[in-house]
Amino acid sequence: MAITRRELITTIAMTGGTAAVAVTVGTGTLHAETEGPRIPSAAVGLLYDATVCIGCKACVAACAEANGETPDTRGDSLHQAPTDLNDLTRNIIKLYKPTDGTPASFVKRQCMHCLDPACAAGCPFQALHKDLESGIVYWTADKCIGCRYCTITCPYHVPRFQWVGYNPRVTKCELCSHRLAQGRKPGCTSVCPTGAVIFGPRTVLLTEGKRRIKETPGRYYKDKVYGETDNGGTQSLYLSRVPFDDLGLPELGEESVPEKTLRWQRRFYQYFALPALLYAGLVQVIRKSVKGHVEEAHEHEKETGLRAQL
Amino acid sequence: MSAITTSQFKTEDRWERAVPVFGFPVVTRFFLVLMALTLVALVLTGYRELAGLGPVSGMNDAFGWGIWKTFNVMVLTALGSGAFAVGIAAWVFRRKKLHALMRMALLTSFLAYASGLLLLGIDAGRPWNFYWIVFPWKWNMHSPLAEVAICMSIYAMIPLAVENLPPVLERLWYFDSRLRPGVEKMEKHLHSVFPYVIALAYLLPGMHQSSLGALMLLAGERVHPLWQSPFLPLLYVWAACFMSFGCVAGCTMLCCLVWKRAMDMDVLDEAARITCGLIYGWAALRLLDIAFREQLGTAFHFDRFAGVFWLEMLMIVGGGYLLQRSVRTHERDKMFMGYVLSSVGGMIYRFSPTTLAFRPNPQALYFPATIEVLVSLGFIAMGVAGFLFAVKKFAILPGPLYLWHDMASYFRFRRPYIRWTGYFKYGFFGEDEELTNNPHE
Repeated sequence: MAITRRELITTIAMTGGTAAVAVTVGTGTLHAETEGPRIPSAAVGLLYDATVCIGCKACVAACAEANGETPDTRGDSLHQAPTDLNDLTRNIIKLYKPTDGTPASFVKRQCMHCLDPACAAGCPFQALHKDLESGIVYWTADKCIGCRYCTITCPYHVPRFQWVGYNPRVTKCELCSHRLAQGRKPGCTSVCPTGAVIFGPRTVLLTEGKRRIKETPGRYYKDKVYGETDNGGTQSLYLSRVPFDDLGLPELGEESVPEKTLRWQRRFYQYFALPALLYAGLVQVIRKSVKGHVEEAHEHEKETGLRAQL
Repeated sequence: MSAITTSQFKTEDRWERAVPVFGFPVVTRFFLVLMALTLVALVLTGYRELAGLGPVSGMNDAFGWGIWKTFNVMVLTALGSGAFAVGIAAWVFRRKKLHALMRMALLTSFLAYASGLLLLGIDAGRPWNFYWIVFPWKWNMHSPLAEVAICMSIYAMIPLAVENLPPVLERLWYFDSRLRPGVEKMEKHLHSVFPYVIALAYLLPGMHQSSLGALMLLAGERVHPLWQSPFLPLLYVWAACFMSFGCVAGCTMLCCLVWKRAMDMDVLDEAARITCGLIYGWAALRLLDIAFREQLGTAFHFDRFAGVFWLEMLMIVGGGYLLQRSVRTHERDKMFMGYVLSSVGGMIYRFSPTTLAFRPNPQALYFPATIEVLVSLGFIAMGVAGFLFAVKKFAILPGPLYLWHDMASYFRFRRPYIRWTGYFKYGFFGEDEELTNNPHE
């Protein structure tokens, strides 16, 4: 054991020195990379003001129509009344109504188009990816393996998997990009009777949200536009009079979920440097082990007259 | 200590050679049951491919992952990390006694990974898109799931398969003397690449077993704080280490009981000592981590999470204590119980973050559907059947030297009509004439 231990320590010291350098270098680059997510050059988004919404659900129907989806009438085979986002529903209006008499509020739920989307961070073959220009998070059918990791990672629980059928799809709002290409607005914003949800460049929407807060101080929760910095910033922005947490928009802090949770994972696999070093060290140690083991096995073979087993 | 150990069992009972289980038929009633379960699972798999995941499983929008991923892959590959954990102890830390257990470790690992990977392919909704795996520039290098999927397939198909070759080559060597030059040449090549393959076989599982833990990091607060931790990857790979020691040593003990083989307590004590150390270290790290995140209070809430937490901890640490005690007192039943307890506790731990401690929303509920359970069971049955076949046909299970000679005489005198058993074909010792008449005899 004495020899092994000494040798092991030397190997670790040898690789460790190099590894330390690698980590320092890697960390330096990473710091530069992770100073907040990059905001796409032509980032577009939605601004939803919950205090203006009357809950007519016109946007729900318009969304399905704009995306060529069959209306989801699975509830009672009559009304298009999905209970939550699902494989036919990219957009939904929900009502938050507490029993203690505090203010109620509608909330429109659809993809937040995060600046640093957790779904795309987890997607193994980049089926979910963020468009570099518009910042829309797209789903690509021919890259998706159907692992449903996006349904687990999304902090807003937006992507939904189609549970029935041999060719399942992942459904999420893609900001009606086919309509944008024709110069039209997304389905939901084109029908909203009160202008509770509006479409536009993210910067414009952000200014508009701040203007509303400034005009009517005290009307909005915490005087804050949800999505400006939350989860690293999102392209769907929210204004509300009730706490965002109650509307299903958790307070996630300014750091995005992937940045917060995968920091060490990313650092470890940066340039694949550390695994490669570890591999080199392992080979060093194991080469000696194998040599010794083979010698011992051959000695044993001579002793017993039975062929060596390795 | 060593004086007691050596006085406890006879020197000739020392495990010196892997010997096939002989004198027992492969096709038994139990084996047929396993095959039937496998067949049922394969038929149901066909149905699943046509109908989709919804009709066959309890998965839903809130619980996107069911037992196929969370049990068959996350839990069973941890049990099947023997090739990684026992291998590192044997090859890197040179615990030479553990080489006796290596073939068992490699076989259980291979079967666990193979069955897990097959089920992973069935669990995927759009498996035909797996072909992207051959284009590395399309990988999302920072995704833990990509890491798991890619690393696991490469590991099971290359290093683990290559590591499992020696028993197969050995069998060919005994099978027919005409094959020997070829086999010997192949073995020579194999030995020259062995260090590189073995090192890869430790790097890859270390990466993907920890990434299995990293998977749940992205789920954030939806995993209960007793489990959600930045140390989740480390705790996961560490748990895999002691669980797989339990699986390898426990399975070997069970096999020795079933097929009435002598147990080498030297080897088993060594394994138990290492497992016990791993368990205590793991438990300490976990408790410290929870304490430093100031979540220790949640362990004393009266809810199911605290219940699961204490169940895990008590089983794992209790198992560790039994192992520690059995090394001292040489109680084999305590040792076996220790392995079972700690491994089952570890299984619950690996299962919890994705299922028991996963709280997507207050109303969410997941319970596996019948078909889901049948498929899961069927794939486990396939692994067990593969194990039973392999230990009876190949030299996997360790045994004393005399067992090899027993096997040779068994085949020579009791079942001379079996030619294809191979191990016996050339003379009394199962060797060819040249070797049996050698001066060393």
